[in-house]
Amino acid sequence: MTVYITSTGSFLPGPAISVDQVENILGAVHGKPSSLRVQIQKANKIETRHYAIDEQQKTTHSNTEMATNAAEQCLDRGFVHRDKVSMLAVASTQGDLPAPGMASMVQAELELPEVEILTTHGICSSSIMALKAAWNSLRLEEHEAALVVSSELASRLLKKQRYEAATTSTFAAKRIDFSTEFLRWMLSDGAGALLLQNKPAPKGFSLRIDWIRGFSHAHALPTCMSVGSAGRPEDPRTWQDYDTYAEAEQDGALLLRQDVRLLDNLMRMGVDGYLRLVEEGVSKPSEVDHFLCHYSSHHFRNKILEMLDTAGVGIPEEKWWTNLYSRGNTGSASLFIMLDEFLRTEEVTVKEGDRVLCFVPESGRFNTTYLQLTVVSE
Amino acid sequence: MNDGEISIEGGGSTVTQESEHEGVILNPHAQVCLQQLLRIWLGFERDLSKVPLLRRIDLGTYTVEDHQIFLRNIRQQVIEGSRWITRTASSFDRDHSEIRSTIISHAVDEHRDYEMLEKDYVASGGQLEDILNMERNIGSEALHGFLMHRSSRPNPIDLLGAMWIIEGLGEKMANSWAERIQELTGLSEDSTRFMTYHGENDSDHMQRFYATLNSVCVNEKAIKSIVKTSKVVARLYRLQLEEIEYDIQ
Repeated sequence: MTVYITSTGSFLPGPAISVDQVENILGAVHGKPSSLRVQIQKANKIETRHYAIDEQQKTTHSNTEMATNAAEQCLDRGFVHRDKVSMLAVASTQGDLPAPGMASMVQAELELPEVEILTTHGICSSSIMALKAAWNSLRLEEHEAALVVSSELASRLLKKQRYEAATTSTFAAKRIDFSTEFLRWMLSDGAGALLLQNKPAPKGFSLRIDWIRGFSHAHALPTCMSVGSAGRPEDPRTWQDYDTYAEAEQDGALLLRQDVRLLDNLMRMGVDGYLRLVEEGVSKPSEVDHFLCHYSSHHFRNKILEMLDTAGVGIPEEKWWTNLYSRGNTGSASLFIMLDEFLRTEEVTVKEGDRVLCFVPESGRFNTTYLQLTVVSE
Repeated sequence: MNDGEISIEGGGSTVTQESEHEGVILNPHAQVCLQQLLRIWLGFERDLSKVPLLRRIDLGTYTVEDHQIFLRNIRQQVIEGSRWITRTASSFDRDHSEIRSTIISHAVDEHRDYEMLEKDYVASGGQLEDILNMERNIGSEALHGFLMHRSSRPNPIDLLGAMWIIEGLGEKMANSWAERIQELTGLSEDSTRFMTYHGENDSDHMQRFYATLNSVCVNEKAIKSIVKTSKVVARLYRLQLEEIEYDIQ
């Protein structure tokens, strides 16, 4: 059974926030501007982003609401009655409630009756896990239409109060703690949704799903991006091992961390997975018309890209497209938000038969995911 | 029309037209070989993270003692390195004189590297006689044995696959480990000179490597032998590093 993405939707909360305004929203920790902000923002090159919190760090939209808004837009644009949607897959790094799964909450908001639900847990690649499961369900002909939604509300983890409360943490102890600040100036909020069907939409372009693959390297590499530990190699406790949650927070076990030193591994494993797909004959570099990458090219060590060119499997820069710089890095929601804009933007000419290769790497513990779509019309 | 299933055609790597980058043009066989070598390297590099001593660099728990043990264990391979490289050079016949010259000049560059390593060891607080008296560990024995065996065969072009791993590791030591080791242990630059030295002239090395690969990797058989030797060397090199743990015990 062939499966198509027949509609997309996205939701970005509030106004676009420029680089200079970011600290007004997240708040200056103890009233002191960050000494790392400018450096990290320059490196990630993100110009504008959105937050679901206001300048008092009060939540303006819940994660469930954002997911629902993106899903509603996707359904409104679709050519299928919502009663036909019999599966809902939802991905997020952290839903509003640790339990139950976020799909339950989104289903309730969408008032979708008696659908099969799936919540995937992870970081950036969780949306691809949800997409793959929904794709497979349609391929098995258990459903005719499935909704896949991904939403992230990272700003609640990044607001100043989190850092101010972490009084005995590495953040408090060090003058500069790159690992806890790196993602503060990187991530932002938003949601995206895809509608999957067993036939293309009657009007406009649909995206046929050709294949979805993923390779995880957690068996060999240490944890790189996480929430739940104090970030000290000698301390094996995770957040629930502390006597109280208050102690875990004080110790910085609830801060979002990125071990920046390990980050190069993500690019390396990304290239390895790509070469593997080329070797298996799954991906054919010469046939790729558009490359949508959750990471931008400047993050790859140029040398690896040069080697790919020398090896005859590089993807020319002009085929790369991303809206990361204007919509922000919204983790697992990024690719869905990207696909939604890709089909509408005038920056790229999309035509029938175009092959779209997508790459979503997750630094958490190094999961790299890939998919290929083909532009079709009925 | 593709029916949406994963299509696996042939299973062979994609051969595209000749590629050109910074003056390097690889023939289609050399391209496929480079694709496979890249994967071997990336897998090797990832799996180094599983080697306990090197994991400590990743986790930030590497100590001065770790550094001494590390140097003590790789010295033998560095000394033997110049032997298999010169043997490789002498195994090439007159039809391969260009490669022979390249390899000889490479051997000249590196054949006294172990002296630098010994100085690093002393600068790290080790006793010179301890490193001089160190025997080859089990992994070093296997690696050295394999390399001497392969280099004794006529026209051993497959050893390009060995150089790919060993040179790559030299570069990794220079770019990823040396500074981090100084930071973690408080040791000075004097203790990591062997590592940093290998980061110099990287891009020249790469261009030379590509040129040689292009000239010898001209058919399926060549790809296979280069790739196989590269895989074996990657595994035996890791074994050598894993065996360092037994020195610690």
